Amino acid sequence: MISLLGGIFLGWSLGANDAANVFGSAVSSRMLKFWTAAILGASFVLVGALLAGQSGIETLQGLTSFTSDQAIIASIAAACTVTLMTLLGLPVSTSQAVVGAILGVGLLNRQLNVAGLEKVVVCWIGTPVGGTVLAVIIYKLLAAIVNRMNLNIFQSDILARLSLIAAGSYGAYALGANNVANVTAVFVGAGMLSVSAAALIGGLSIGLGILTFSKRVMETVGKKLVRLDPFSALVVVLAQAVTVHIYALVGVPVSTSQAVIGAVLGVGIIRGVNTIQRRTLVSIFLAWFVTPLVASIFALAFDFVTHLHYIPSH
Amino acid sequence: MFKFLFKKEQQVQQLISKYLENLRMTQEHFEKAMDCYFDFGLGENCDFLIKQTHKFESRADDIRHEIIEMMYSKVLIPESRSDILRLLESIDLIPTHFETVLFMIQGQSLKVPDFITPDFRELLRVSLECCDLVIKQVEAYFKKTEDIKALVHTIDSHESRCDHMEREIVRNIFDSHLDPFEKIQLKELVIQMGEISDQADRVSRSVHIINIKRRV
Repeated sequence: MISLLGGIFLGWSLGANDAANVFGSAVSSRMLKFWTAAILGASFVLVGALLAGQSGIETLQGLTSFTSDQAIIASIAAACTVTLMTLLGLPVSTSQAVVGAILGVGLLNRQLNVAGLEKVVVCWIGTPVGGTVLAVIIYKLLAAIVNRMNLNIFQSDILARLSLIAAGSYGAYALGANNVANVTAVFVGAGMLSVSAAALIGGLSIGLGILTFSKRVMETVGKKLVRLDPFSALVVVLAQAVTVHIYALVGVPVSTSQAVIGAVLGVGIIRGVNTIQRRTLVSIFLAWFVTPLVASIFALAFDFVTHLHYIPSH
Repeated sequence: MFKFLFKKEQQVQQLISKYLENLRMTQEHFEKAMDCYFDFGLGENCDFLIKQTHKFESRADDIRHEIIEMMYSKVLIPESRSDILRLLESIDLIPTHFETVLFMIQGQSLKVPDFITPDFRELLRVSLECCDLVIKQVEAYFKKTEDIKALVHTIDSHESRCDHMEREIVRNIFDSHLDPFEKIQLKELVIQMGEISDQADRVSRSVHIINIKRRV
């Protein structure tokens, strides 16, 4: 169990941070109590991890071969990257940190599944783009339905709240399905866990992060989404959830934050307003390159440190 | 199906209906008080009706505060909440104008000369018609029963007519041989009466904007 701690920590921080992308708007606008959101989020993450997390786990564990030591090194390297970059205030994606750490291990083993890696990188780029495209489609579709319904202020308010709860739950399911691979895939690669055990432990650790540490992040991140307006916030959550779910089916863990940024951009295109600052877009590009690089360096450094031997002087 | 989950929203909706009903009553008593004043001048009956108008105006304030209190106990999303509160604040200025007109007449013992009384009556009639339409529009907004945009146009044309009448009455007052002090007093009364339709128009526009804002 101790050897899994790196992965569990990673899952915990993932849950604490990424739950904001699915329930942040509902909680920060007081449409939903934090505890209701946290319980719904943790439950659906676990369900998503158990029912649909297998594909991502198989992709990541297939990027290289691991020994159990290397699996531990990869998970700790990814966890350290996420912690360091968060402390430095730099953009970070857990998915990219994990792949970077696996890349580091792959370089050491001189064995890397290039085709698998290509697929992962293409999906990274496709995440914000997918978020944007889906947001545009979902916005148009839902707007047509909502405008036809001719609801009064109370009815539309109730609909917005129920929809945000439903979209948030679906988002949590997609988060679990997609991101559980980040937490425990390396241990499956090293033969330390079965796929279903990895999904269970991963799902539980993400859920623990949501239950114990996501409140503040939900309130701060959610407020940024709510500033859009309830309908746009719903579109963003839904577009993000669909994007992440699609990549869960493809089997590539992606960043939910980047999907959100893409979706917000999509809403901005429809409404003809600039919703995203150029700095945010630059930060995505930075995250694509810097996060895997830092994680690889950490993995290489940790591997080097674990292979140091004490040679007594004579 | 989920009605039990949204009890507070239903209560707010009921309170808003109660508020609008009370606004109607305030208007009804204001109209009676003004009619009584035009027909018989100030007196016991008129004082009683002024008191009644004030009573309904105060009750409207109480209901509004009840709505505000309920809204802040986490009913509705913040955007809807602020829209409704701002709208109620704006509507609430209408009975305040009713009261100001009556208190002006009562406090200053104003006398409207006979030659201008029909014009005052007409201004009052059109202004109150504006209020009727606004109440109808607000109800339509909350219940989605009628075309809000069409009502905005009707209220706007009524308000323009009131403005025109206001100018006409003021001109007639200043063309007359009344005492200059009396002229200024009557001008103030006309302006205050004109505020009723102006405020109704402001409310009508806010309803329209809130309605447009909700379209996606």
